[in-house]
Amino acid sequence: MNESVLMLTLMAGIGLGTPLVFGTVGEILTERSGILNLGVQGMMLFGAVMGFWATFVSGSLWLGVLAALLGGAGMSLIHAFNSVTLRVSQIVSGLALTIFGTGVAVYIGKAGSDPLIGQPSKAVFEPIFPEALTDVPIVGPLIFGHDALIYLSWAIVAAASYYLFHTRPGLTVRAVGEDPASAEAAGINVSKVRYIHVMLGGALAGIGGAYFSLALVPSWQDNPIGQAGWIAIALVILASWRPWRALWVAYLFGIAGRLNFTFQTLEINVPATLLDMLPFLLAIIAMIVLTSGKRAKFLGAPAALGIPYYREER
Amino acid sequence: MSRRFIVEPRGLAPWWLKLLIPIGSVIAAMILGGVFLVITGNDWIEVYQKMADAAFGSGRGFAETLVSATPLILTGVAAAIAFKMLVWNIGGEGQLIFGAVVAAGVGIWLADSTPQVIAIVAVVIAGAIGGAFWASLAAVPKVYLGTNEIITTLMLNFIALNFMQYLVLGSSSPWRDPEATQFPQGRPIVESGRIPEFFHRLDWGLFIAIGVAVIAWFVISKTRSGFEYRIVGDSFDAARYAGIKVPKKVLGTFLASGAAAGLAGSILVAGILGKMDPRSLDLGLGFTGIIVAALARLNPIAIIPVAILMGALNNAGPALQSIGVPSATVKILQGAILIFAVAGEFLISNRIHRPDPIAGEAKAEPEAQAA
Repeated sequence: MNESVLMLTLMAGIGLGTPLVFGTVGEILTERSGILNLGVQGMMLFGAVMGFWATFVSGSLWLGVLAALLGGAGMSLIHAFNSVTLRVSQIVSGLALTIFGTGVAVYIGKAGSDPLIGQPSKAVFEPIFPEALTDVPIVGPLIFGHDALIYLSWAIVAAASYYLFHTRPGLTVRAVGEDPASAEAAGINVSKVRYIHVMLGGALAGIGGAYFSLALVPSWQDNPIGQAGWIAIALVILASWRPWRALWVAYLFGIAGRLNFTFQTLEINVPATLLDMLPFLLAIIAMIVLTSGKRAKFLGAPAALGIPYYREER
Repeated sequence: MSRRFIVEPRGLAPWWLKLLIPIGSVIAAMILGGVFLVITGNDWIEVYQKMADAAFGSGRGFAETLVSATPLILTGVAAAIAFKMLVWNIGGEGQLIFGAVVAAGVGIWLADSTPQVIAIVAVVIAGAIGGAFWASLAAVPKVYLGTNEIITTLMLNFIALNFMQYLVLGSSSPWRDPEATQFPQGRPIVESGRIPEFFHRLDWGLFIAIGVAVIAWFVISKTRSGFEYRIVGDSFDAARYAGIKVPKKVLGTFLASGAAAGLAGSILVAGILGKMDPRSLDLGLGFTGIIVAALARLNPIAIIPVAILMGALNNAGPALQSIGVPSATVKILQGAILIFAVAGEFLISNRIHRPDPIAGEAKAEPEAQAA
């Protein structure tokens, strides 16, 4: 393979993988606390439109990111209330969030006399380091060739991993996800932990969505994110609920997403629709091979994932 | 410390509450949607009038509503019978699509001379088998290996979607119309395999869907097998003690659920579409079926009117664009209805009341005596 083609593929793969990194790490935090949120697609899309809108109105990229973060977190609050306070079906509530979030995002994009749809973004995330650094072969672009959100995503991955596995609050989250009754007995406020982590997941999904509308495809379309929210849910399993692995699998699928284009350049004929199938197919195989029955622990699925928690006392 | 409210689980909710929650969910969603419309500078009364008019205002409009409702009845039944047994089949989408793939495959393969009745039955049944097969990909690992079906059925949706797109858009498979060279599209099925229309674009598939809902209700509430099914749905342990083979029941329910969704696919192929086409099947019918099932509180008979309501919403979407309102209004309403309906389940399964000071003392008394 031609070296420049390889480099282009890697760089584009990292770009395409970045929203998946945000979404997947967010969902990992949520699921580690024992809550399954199938609303990632809706939260991402809502974050994408909020980020685009805020940047469109203010001209500021970081206000856009802030709006996306708040939008995603706000959307996730609905799910937190349904699944933690009301303890109704997390599955149905998550799907409801996806349908609602998608509707709201598409609606906002088309509403008003001068709708957002078709408009280019007022500002776009671009590489932050000077060209002198990126000119270094191979290492230059791979390390210095990215925009600020990609570096933010690295920081979030590192922070999330350190938080979950090396801090006391992180241990608390994992305890809540494994065995909420014991956690409660140890004096942990299960509801509070779950609320916080559902909203962290929503906030990160929101930023992931904004990465599409402010960096990857900096204009507004009905659905700039494709199926990224659903892919993120699949990647949580492939990453076995660990943030660093989320980074690698997200890049792997970013690269896979770019392969269509690469194969075209190299005149290799692989149908795009079959490549699109890959993340979902691999997630199922991983599910069946690695999480079935007693082996579930091997992957690290939180034991209390998706199960409503009732306190003993009333 | 005294609390202002006491929440406790209840056994059976009163019938009026079970009716009030779904209706209240729709009203609450319409209020929320109205707020959205007003904030974005639309006349909410005009919008809702337009929607009602498009969906119910004329014979043709109502026929279109029923056309939209037909697959939703089936995907609704698919979700309801699975959810009732705590089988989280959220793969109605994929089972519908794979049902459509198999139905169209049979419909394309059949000879033109096939008698109409045989051709229709073959195509329709093929869809059900296709849907059941697609469900089995998640059902068999669940029953025999314990694989969680939530994620597998969800992922199978996208695999089916991409597979369908591959058949028509990405390859020169028999499903692709060889005559459509400009824009690839699905190959029409044999003419004798088409379900006849009886009014406007409405075909007899509607009655197949209603029939399936009624059969589902009858089997669940009137037969021995349905009785066992309800026991399994209430408690796996109780069912096991009663000598019911739980894995077999779960597998059967899962496959029946897939078959119902697949039937939705084959009725679309044999009815309104006449072919399997990715552009007209990528509609979220499986997910909307979950809304239908939740709002009907998993009751197969209630699914019929609820599916008509959701069909009305789907049908009203395009009409909104003519008055400059995004058709996504419909998605907002559907999502909000589901959010309220699922939240309302809390009121059905729990009782909220103010603490009763007298009852509190009365409860304390026997304890004091015991001490």
